Amino acid sequence: MKHTLLGVALAAALAVPAVANDYMIMAPAAPGGGWDGTARAMQEVMQAEGISASVQVQNVPGAGGTVGLAQFASTTSGDASQLIVGGYVMVGAILTNESPVSLADVTPIARLTGEAVGIAVSAASPIQNINELVEMMKADPGSVSWAGGSAGGVDHITVGLLAKAAGIDPTKINYVAFSGGGEALAAILGNQVTVGISGVGEFLPQVEAGTMRMLAVSTAEKWPGTDAPTLMESGYDVNVQNWRMVAAAPGLSDEQKAAVAADIEKLVNSAGWKAMLESKGWANTYLAGADFDAQLAKEIEATTAVLKDIGLVK
Amino acid sequence: MSDQKNADGRRPGGAAFFVAALLAALGCLLLWQGLSIPDKGGYAGIGSGDLPIFIAICLWLLAAAHVWKGMREGSHRLPRQEPLPVLFIVGGLAMQLILLKPLGFSIASGLLFACTAAAFGKRRIHISLPIGIGFALVVYGVFDRLLQLNLPAGVLENLIFGG
Amino acid sequence: MTTFDFLLQGLGTALDPMILLYALIGVTLGTAVGVLPGIGPALTVALLLPVTYGLDPAGSLIMFAGIYYGGMYGGSTTSILLNTPGESASIVTALEGNQMARAGRGGPALATAAIGSFVAGLLATLALAFLAPHIVKLALVFGPREYFALMVLAFVTVSAAFGDSTMKGLTSLFVGLALAVVGIDGLTGQARLSFGVPQLLDGIEVTTLAVAMFAVGEALFVAAQGAGGQEKVHAIKGSVAMTRADWARSWKPWLRGTAIGFPIGAMPAGGADIASFLSYGTEKRMTRHPEEFGHGAIEGVAGPEAANNAAAAGTLVPLLTLGLPTTATAAIMLAGFQQFGLQPGPLLFATAPQLVWGLIASLLIANFMLLVLNLPLIRLWVKLLTIPRPWLYAGILLFATLGTIGVNPSPVELSMLMVFGLMGYFMRLHGYPIAPVVVGLILGPMAEQQLRRALSISQGDWTTLVSTPLSAGLLLVALLALVVPAFLRWRGKGAVLAQIAGDED
Repeated sequence: MKHTLLGVALAAALAVPAVANDYMIMAPAAPGGGWDGTARAMQEVMQAEGISASVQVQNVPGAGGTVGLAQFASTTSGDASQLIVGGYVMVGAILTNESPVSLADVTPIARLTGEAVGIAVSAASPIQNINELVEMMKADPGSVSWAGGSAGGVDHITVGLLAKAAGIDPTKINYVAFSGGGEALAAILGNQVTVGISGVGEFLPQVEAGTMRMLAVSTAEKWPGTDAPTLMESGYDVNVQNWRMVAAAPGLSDEQKAAVAADIEKLVNSAGWKAMLESKGWANTYLAGADFDAQLAKEIEATTAVLKDIGLVK
Repeated sequence: MSDQKNADGRRPGGAAFFVAALLAALGCLLLWQGLSIPDKGGYAGIGSGDLPIFIAICLWLLAAAHVWKGMREGSHRLPRQEPLPVLFIVGGLAMQLILLKPLGFSIASGLLFACTAAAFGKRRIHISLPIGIGFALVVYGVFDRLLQLNLPAGVLENLIFGG
Repeated sequence: MTTFDFLLQGLGTALDPMILLYALIGVTLGTAVGVLPGIGPALTVALLLPVTYGLDPAGSLIMFAGIYYGGMYGGSTTSILLNTPGESASIVTALEGNQMARAGRGGPALATAAIGSFVAGLLATLALAFLAPHIVKLALVFGPREYFALMVLAFVTVSAAFGDSTMKGLTSLFVGLALAVVGIDGLTGQARLSFGVPQLLDGIEVTTLAVAMFAVGEALFVAAQGAGGQEKVHAIKGSVAMTRADWARSWKPWLRGTAIGFPIGAMPAGGADIASFLSYGTEKRMTRHPEEFGHGAIEGVAGPEAANNAAAAGTLVPLLTLGLPTTATAAIMLAGFQQFGLQPGPLLFATAPQLVWGLIASLLIANFMLLVLNLPLIRLWVKLLTIPRPWLYAGILLFATLGTIGVNPSPVELSMLMVFGLMGYFMRLHGYPIAPVVVGLILGPMAEQQLRRALSISQGDWTTLVSTPLSAGLLLVALLALVVPAFLRWRGKGAVLAQIAGDED
């Protein structure tokens, strides 16, 4: 609270036009996907809980969020009212796209949520479980088409890891990238592809309605809301969690950074956020400050290794 | 081709060659980009670089068509163009672009307004500029303050609407 | 309770005078913001959505519906009167509508757009109410290869907007396609033609290109004619209302536009712009007055306007039944729905029928209110053309840049506005059509991505493109639409074609 007041006072003193309490959140993805959902959930809760008077969401889709990240990093410097949602996908995309802008060019604030990656087929598909799917891939990897998010994103990485764990050449997977979660979902529901891979949360409503069947989840433990086995349980050594974070603009003063971090902490501790996570099926994996910075550095290192392994990064 | 009814003269012969040169240059740019992209087509067999190459070829064909047409049809007279109004509008846009951040939306857009009015004959800037700035301020008030569209604020906006 | 009972109940609550007032406020605000040149429906809805916060659920739902339909409709007014479409779906409206307005027929053009939007909105909303679960199944049949075939058909249709020279039309189209390559390739993440400029990684924004080429290009072109050489634009010549002949020529395009727009809007990768292109092409082929196309044919306004409004209702199909927002406007609406506690998804119709039917009833009422508001206003709108040109164009440019500045105030974006504005001016000067450039920018990436997805799924087997009856059928229609007129022109040098076009109905 003190930090916020300090931030507001400072902002007023510098005659920064936007009140520190107003936020513009960039969702660097097409509408309907996970980041968009995170940004809009933040918007709803921050306004409802009175953390901010006005929150706007802006979608800048493309290439695993690097388009949005680049735009964010280049246009918002020093503006404490600007936030961007990002996540594990972005870490990979920065590498595969050889993006000139990386997470070092923004100010990561906190990890907010984590979600398992789900592998699912339409209800009409003959494939009943993950092992059948892997057998099909072993016989002819090209014949199994995967619909998922951006090339080099968490979905793509998970498929690569699964292939590797099952002894299939990861460069041989037939991965079809869709730009938004919505379009991939439509392709899976319409039986246009063999199998879909995306955040569990995007599949669960469909699974509940009986239009899709979840084959496996990517986390170490079973995911709430589905009894699908983990990849580990099915005999493939894959453990991926797709976390989502929020970052602020580059070039912030320590006071500004602290004010933003305080607002985010208030958000995470609010009852509205807890209810929101519950309804979306997201797990709270809040991590901020130095701990988050250290974790992020570790993830970036690990991801680079994984992407090289599966041939997506030279 | 039905371009024969050129009594009013819509295109000089030189223009066809000029357009052809532009198209060919654009084609070269696309071809260069297309070829420099390592093929990542994968199972599709079509990679990121193939569409640019395809478009480049089509652009060259169109350039050739323009040359052929220019040689066959010769020159037509163009309606007289006044360069000054065009310069006024382009200048107005350029000024808005440059002054938007330092001076804020209202002054920058007011200048564009006055320049455009000048392009259409209203050259008395001491009348059109205040009207433009006033109008832009109203627009700023409605869109930025009332409707929360983010518009760059400057001295004037902060003075009138507060920080 | 049957579907029909739910709808009646919803209409019952919506007929409360207070609710009607909210609907009126909603459509008024939506039209007022949507009508500004350069500000499309997505931005309108995003800007006005917060206005609905704080009302009771029924009131805010209906005000929201009003804003949505008002914003969708508002764009056509400036397209017709000022040749400045604020978004891709009203580009083809500007083609014929502006020609009509120049000839003093702005009144009938606006009227056919308003009534067409109403008819399409009414039919499409009813279709949404009764057919949504079935339509969505149909929409899911569309996979990459079907979308690719649809895009090919749309490309062929675009030739209807080529004007009188095929070479110039193709040149415009390919310039648009070349511009479409700029940015990151969605399938591999490979940057193309962006030369290390981060803002270009995003590609060229359709709205920026459309506003630049139409609004800025038009202003430059008109200004460069000087005071003397200007053609006189008549505000009103003849009747402001539609004549008997106008009605007779409009009603079929309205219905055809609705039939085209609703299913295409319902497809996850469809959209109002593609619907309007297809409708324009269809009307041009079916008209008895082919000579009027390009010079102010009322069918060319009636059809596309009905189609883009029907598509707007169609967009709600995947949104409500699958929870898929397929357009920017739909994504903003999703946020709007969530404030009413409405969670779009596969079970919505079963779990929250009152809300769904409340929304549908609201849409019907808002649609009606829109007509009530706008028909009398046409007289007023037409007066826009009597504003002295210096002030009119100064205002247009201010609003045209406002949309760009509000969405993305980067110098790169504003420079593009200027460069493409100049390009629009030169193209006008030398008789190159503008619309195909924008159409190429929209269709190019869609066609490319769908083709590559289809081929990836089939592992490089091109026969996949004709392997379903739907995709083969669409490609066949496209082929016929391309080959038959060319063949007939070759045979009879156009005379036969004109006659055939006149005979068929």
